[in-house]
Amino acid sequence: MFYRLSGVHHSSYKSDRKMFPVPADRNLVVFLLILGIAAPFLVPSLYLNSYMLPWLIWTAAVLGLNLVTGWAGQLHLGYAAVMAVGAYSAVHAAKFGIPWEFALLIGGLASSVIGSLFAFTALRVKGLYLALTTLAMQFVMDWVLTHSPAISGGSHASLQSPTFALLGQKITSDAGLYYVALGWCVLVTIFMLNLKRTGLGRALVAVREKDFAAAILGVNSFYYKVVAFAASSFIAGVTGAILVATFYFLAAPEQFAVNVSIQVLAMVIIGGLGSIIGSYLGAALILLVPGIVNKIFSGGADVIGLNLGIETLAHIPNAAYGALIVIFLMVEPLGLGKLYANVRDYLMVWPFDQLKK
Amino acid sequence: MDWIFLGELTINGALTGLLYSLVAIGLVLIYKSSAVPNLAQGALTMMGAYVVLAFSHNLGWSLWISIPLAVVIMFFVGMGIERVALRRLAGRPIVMILMMTMGLDIFLRGTTLAIWGGTSRSMNLGVSYNPFFVGDMLLSRIHMVGAAVAIALFIGFMVFFRTRMGIRLRAISDDYLASWSVGISVERGVGLSWGLASIVAVATGVIWGEVQGVDQSLSILLLKGLTVAVLGGLDSIFGAIVAGIILGVLESVGSFYLDPIVGGGSRDLIVAGVLILTVMIRPHGLFGRHDIERI
Amino acid sequence: MAQNETRQDDMILSLNSIEVLYDSVLLAIKGVSIEVPRGGMIALLGSNGAGKSTTLKAISGLLKSERGKVSRGEIRFDGNLIGDFSPQDRVAMGICHVIEGRRVFEHLTPDENLDAAAPMSMSRSEMASEKERMYEYFPRLAERKSSQSGYLSGGEQQMLAIARALMTQPRLLMLDEPSLGLAPFLVTEIFGIIQRINKEEGLSVLLVEQNAIAALEIVSHGYLIENGRVVMHDTAEDLKKNSDIQEFYLGGGEGKNFHDIKHYSRRKRWLS
Repeated sequence: MFYRLSGVHHSSYKSDRKMFPVPADRNLVVFLLILGIAAPFLVPSLYLNSYMLPWLIWTAAVLGLNLVTGWAGQLHLGYAAVMAVGAYSAVHAAKFGIPWEFALLIGGLASSVIGSLFAFTALRVKGLYLALTTLAMQFVMDWVLTHSPAISGGSHASLQSPTFALLGQKITSDAGLYYVALGWCVLVTIFMLNLKRTGLGRALVAVREKDFAAAILGVNSFYYKVVAFAASSFIAGVTGAILVATFYFLAAPEQFAVNVSIQVLAMVIIGGLGSIIGSYLGAALILLVPGIVNKIFSGGADVIGLNLGIETLAHIPNAAYGALIVIFLMVEPLGLGKLYANVRDYLMVWPFDQLKK
Repeated sequence: MDWIFLGELTINGALTGLLYSLVAIGLVLIYKSSAVPNLAQGALTMMGAYVVLAFSHNLGWSLWISIPLAVVIMFFVGMGIERVALRRLAGRPIVMILMMTMGLDIFLRGTTLAIWGGTSRSMNLGVSYNPFFVGDMLLSRIHMVGAAVAIALFIGFMVFFRTRMGIRLRAISDDYLASWSVGISVERGVGLSWGLASIVAVATGVIWGEVQGVDQSLSILLLKGLTVAVLGGLDSIFGAIVAGIILGVLESVGSFYLDPIVGGGSRDLIVAGVLILTVMIRPHGLFGRHDIERI
Repeated sequence: MAQNETRQDDMILSLNSIEVLYDSVLLAIKGVSIEVPRGGMIALLGSNGAGKSTTLKAISGLLKSERGKVSRGEIRFDGNLIGDFSPQDRVAMGICHVIEGRRVFEHLTPDENLDAAAPMSMSRSEMASEKERMYEYFPRLAERKSSQSGYLSGGEQQMLAIARALMTQPRLLMLDEPSLGLAPFLVTEIFGIIQRINKEEGLSVLLVEQNAIAALEIVSHGYLIENGRVVMHDTAEDLKKNSDIQEFYLGGGEGKNFHDIKHYSRRKRWLS
């Protein structure tokens, strides 16, 4: 009914390689894109800037991590550190007077270089040990950031970001900043959608499933791992820079600490490894839930007349965030992307689903 | 260079390192039985300390009652975590298992702090803060107590792994299917290892709570424990002890020389460096089994 | 009816047309019925992937760990339905499965391997005497009892796996390809020991083998499994004489071409 087709049928390779094999998917994406563009006219600017904008930027970050963890299957617990590299290089470049377009590029490239260092670890070990090394590298990065005033911006360890500008136009309005975030997120999404259809994407999946088996098939797994890390780090770097330029306006080391790495990974996993729609959903859930839970608790405590301490209220969102991760992994380890796929698969064959059996 | 001072640095470093070993022993126990790297061990440690305090401070009971009570409670908390959260993830990719333990870490920390608050409190074990003199060297008494606890736990587990239950646990860590085939309950064994690790967490929490106060910083011990566990080999308790001493000495002596150069705070850098180097050079650690996944 | 019941009593194990599903899609076994008489020795023969190991795992409950399940049919041990029991319960009831590939606990010594398998209810003195009995059956193990099991030779590991299974005090011992990768004289030695235990203690044995020649020497009856179905069931003597068995499993007989092979399997399937 919604998809107006029972199953996916292809009669040529060309149709099989299409970005959206199901027309309804394309229509849905177009609809969401229009909604995204119209958002500044529909949503109050408070919500636009404190929910929509960070959500889009974090989604771009999640997509970047998904490239290396979901597609190439390499664990990465130092993603925030790579974002920090991009953010700091871009802000310093912009302060130096370089236009933001190039500053973002510099940030992305700097992250690529540092991120490829992580890749060389991945060439030697994988799985748990890769996770531990990347975690350690995150700590080294944190340490470098907090201990070098030249990078982190003096004694206050905070770095003011110059006003964001594109093509010489200063962007300060809420809607303008929002469109920057939207544009970047859409760009990354298009890249990821296309990645699935290219040889690169297939090679990454082959490396994920069994790297030595991929090697036997002629896929140079070393090369593709480095490419995956470099590409993902580029996305991370630009995302970090945009995050600082359009949302934080001030770069500080704790914005890119280890808990941020864990948060991005949590978004990836709750969204579903390798799922693009899941990246959007996962980022939204992780960003929203702690706030909602806090509202419920403080509201609920008022209602039943329970006097919760300030400290208790301060830590409940954290507990809820942890519980969200735990419960999700218990109930649906494949994430929101899988839930979405289940619904889609169901609707795809509806009302003929009973014929499947 | 003053040799006495260097000796003091070394010995105090080794004692501190043995306190890291406490965290590492908990990690090793779980990794041995189920190959799960328990990133929630730091949060368990913190929780253990808070549970002890809940009895000793909030209820005013003696520590001699509070600690055994906390041991019993945390044993069941550990078993419960395994039963509810980890068991159903068996056979899933490592990234999900890691995420689960990180989620547990966040959850346990959040819950503990929500219940008892985050202001630092002291354990009041009653160990004197006056240094202990060996010749001209000053040693910390509480560190000596902690080191003794670490070694006692090590000996205790060595003995335990020779008992029938201990042999069964080792069998489980060798081969799940073969264990099932001769009627060993793998599930119960893995649950037991979580229970034991949580008991170790209480001991760790009490000692470290005395050293640096009971607050959120207890959960940050995880990184040091993890480094010690990896350096010693993730499945070797003996390795955890030796690696603890090595890391402690490296950290203490290394930071003494490095701090003036880099402007302080080099301890964490040394720990992270040791972790990276260990994984790069010898991923199975000093005493771990060789059968790790390599490319 | 009464005759049927006495027949049931004679059987320690009976499988009644069981089906096994892996991952709830793959049908690995399609209606296998097998009976093992009390104190008897039965062989389950067949080629790779025929479903022999799956049958054993269905009986021991180890299917669970491979996401398989018995979807139809019933398994009776001692007359009781055991389909819902965990592997531990089945071991406690007296079923022990020596899994394929000599999976001993490699980082434990042989002595500790035997300790690990002894039921917790067994007292220390009983355990010591049981271990003595094992070393008497398998003198080679006694010599190596405190070296690491991972370094034992293939034959010694197989002996250890069998001895370890015997420590659980089974009444039915199921052996999955004990001859795999072993020198012929070792196969003879191990089979000799199994036969001896069967005779001396009345232990029922269900033997899965690809090595049909060796297996048919020691068992009384044999079942032939193909593609998840029992295609033939007869006494060992008759099986040895059967021309098809000689052709396809014993490596004798006159040469036939591939057409005959196809014809053979089709014909056999109709028999079941």
